[in-house]
Amino acid sequence: MNRLFKIFILSCLIFCSGHSIAQGDKDKVEAIRYNFITEKLKLTTSESEKFWPVYNEYNDKIKALRKNLRQSLKKAPEDPSDTEAEELYQLDIKTKQAEAELYKEYRGKIKAIIGAKKTMKLRSAEEEFRRKVMEAIKDKDD
Amino acid sequence: MSFDRYIFKVPVFICTIFLFSTQIKAQATFDSLNIKRPKHYFNTVIALDGYRKANQAFTDTNDFLAKRLKSYGLNQFSLSFYTPIITDVEEDTVKHITKSTHILLTGTYVRLKPVFDSIKPHDLVKSGLGLRFIFNSGKKGVWFFDVSPFVTKDRTYASRPYYRLASTIIYSHNVSEKFNWRIGITKSFMWGNRSYWPFLGLRFGKLDKVNLSIQFPRSISLNIPANEKLILSFYTKPQGGMYNFSNHDSLYYLKNDATFSYTRYELNTGLRADVRFSNNVSCYLATGISSKNNITFYSETANKDKRGMYKKYFFEQNLGPTVFFNAGIVIKFGKTRTFLNDRNMYDLMDLNNTNGVGDNNNSMGNPQIPITPKMKKNVNLNSIQDLIDYNDF
Repeated sequence: MNRLFKIFILSCLIFCSGHSIAQGDKDKVEAIRYNFITEKLKLTTSESEKFWPVYNEYNDKIKALRKNLRQSLKKAPEDPSDTEAEELYQLDIKTKQAEAELYKEYRGKIKAIIGAKKTMKLRSAEEEFRRKVMEAIKDKDD
Repeated sequence: MSFDRYIFKVPVFICTIFLFSTQIKAQATFDSLNIKRPKHYFNTVIALDGYRKANQAFTDTNDFLAKRLKSYGLNQFSLSFYTPIITDVEEDTVKHITKSTHILLTGTYVRLKPVFDSIKPHDLVKSGLGLRFIFNSGKKGVWFFDVSPFVTKDRTYASRPYYRLASTIIYSHNVSEKFNWRIGITKSFMWGNRSYWPFLGLRFGKLDKVNLSIQFPRSISLNIPANEKLILSFYTKPQGGMYNFSNHDSLYYLKNDATFSYTRYELNTGLRADVRFSNNVSCYLATGISSKNNITFYSETANKDKRGMYKKYFFEQNLGPTVFFNAGIVIKFGKTRTFLNDRNMYDLMDLNNTNGVGDNNNSMGNPQIPITPKMKKNVNLNSIQDLIDYNDF
């Protein structure tokens, strides 16, 4: 019984550590991005408690969309048939369309919470952060 | 006049239809893709905890049982878990707030071995399944309800199982991200005997930064995140419980009482280090001084009215301070929705952590609240693909 229990714990640890290596960088970068935005936006307590749940929801949906597309592209054969290519094409278009619609919908919600000025500040903060990530990736390549 | 009205109404009507249709359309495209997203904000978390207190000699030379038992020490192992079963998120589009309701299933299994010098160690077991209801109002308040029924049994010898119940109600108010107060009531056995305590909490500082947390009667702690991997805490908290103990060794003179109740509590003050090995695995080590050590034996027959505190005891000893060791491993499973920087959600996680699982007063160390790391110089592109779009290049 004790042996079985130890095997179970060990398997859990191996499973969890394997899974988290891939997850680690993503969570870290995301946490840094959020802190970067916090610094730039300077939200009041009342704005903050309303803004983050909406922003999190938006980001979760965007991430899910991109992951779905990326996984479908990965699964696709190197030389897809016409039907397969058409399906991928439709998925790509739908993903982009959904991204744009979500952007519009959630920016509307965000604007209602923090106003147009801070919503535009959010956009420039996101841009600035993206540039920083690109620089970090470039540094690695160099 | 009526024509002017008509002129005005038509564009309003068209605009309304347009707005409504874009809302529907926005939902429709995303929904049409049938993308699966995590349902819950809470991970399933399993914690293994080992706790040991050094043996101490009874110094009371007048008590017959103290002379017979000679010394007392403690070994405890516990396995606890919680898992989300229902999560409901509701968006108030008028007030722009997001309310959420979370129902968690909790479970605990504790094996406690009180070690006396003169008798064979008894293997006391406590196991229970409970429910936790947490409501995030989306504004400043969070409600927490916990019901933890459990059963205790002495596994060493045949004994009757006893069913008991611990419960807690707390209202938590986030004045700002740096200050929070809590008020409530808790029925608990953490001080040995069954008792009702008012719950009063104060926190100064952000949950993911240095903070001082006073959560009476559960704990007082100063938490210092050294970096995203290591969190140090100076803390003081009571630990204890009520277990049934077989009278096989005839510790209680009425031999017809096959079982009596053994209660213990101690106040542990020490240093704890929580190490987050990875996203899903963390461990903790704690050591310090265990003071106010108390052990009491209550007769079940003499305390027939079990609604309140047990009052009639046949053995009680208070022992001096000793050293304790506590170590544990916490494993998270599953994917969750993002709640970064959402202070109410952080508070939810902290409430869940502060109140432990199954009235053991063990803390899992807030494994779900992220500590923001510093930006790495080189980032693995593959791992952050979902955060950026190829158009960004």
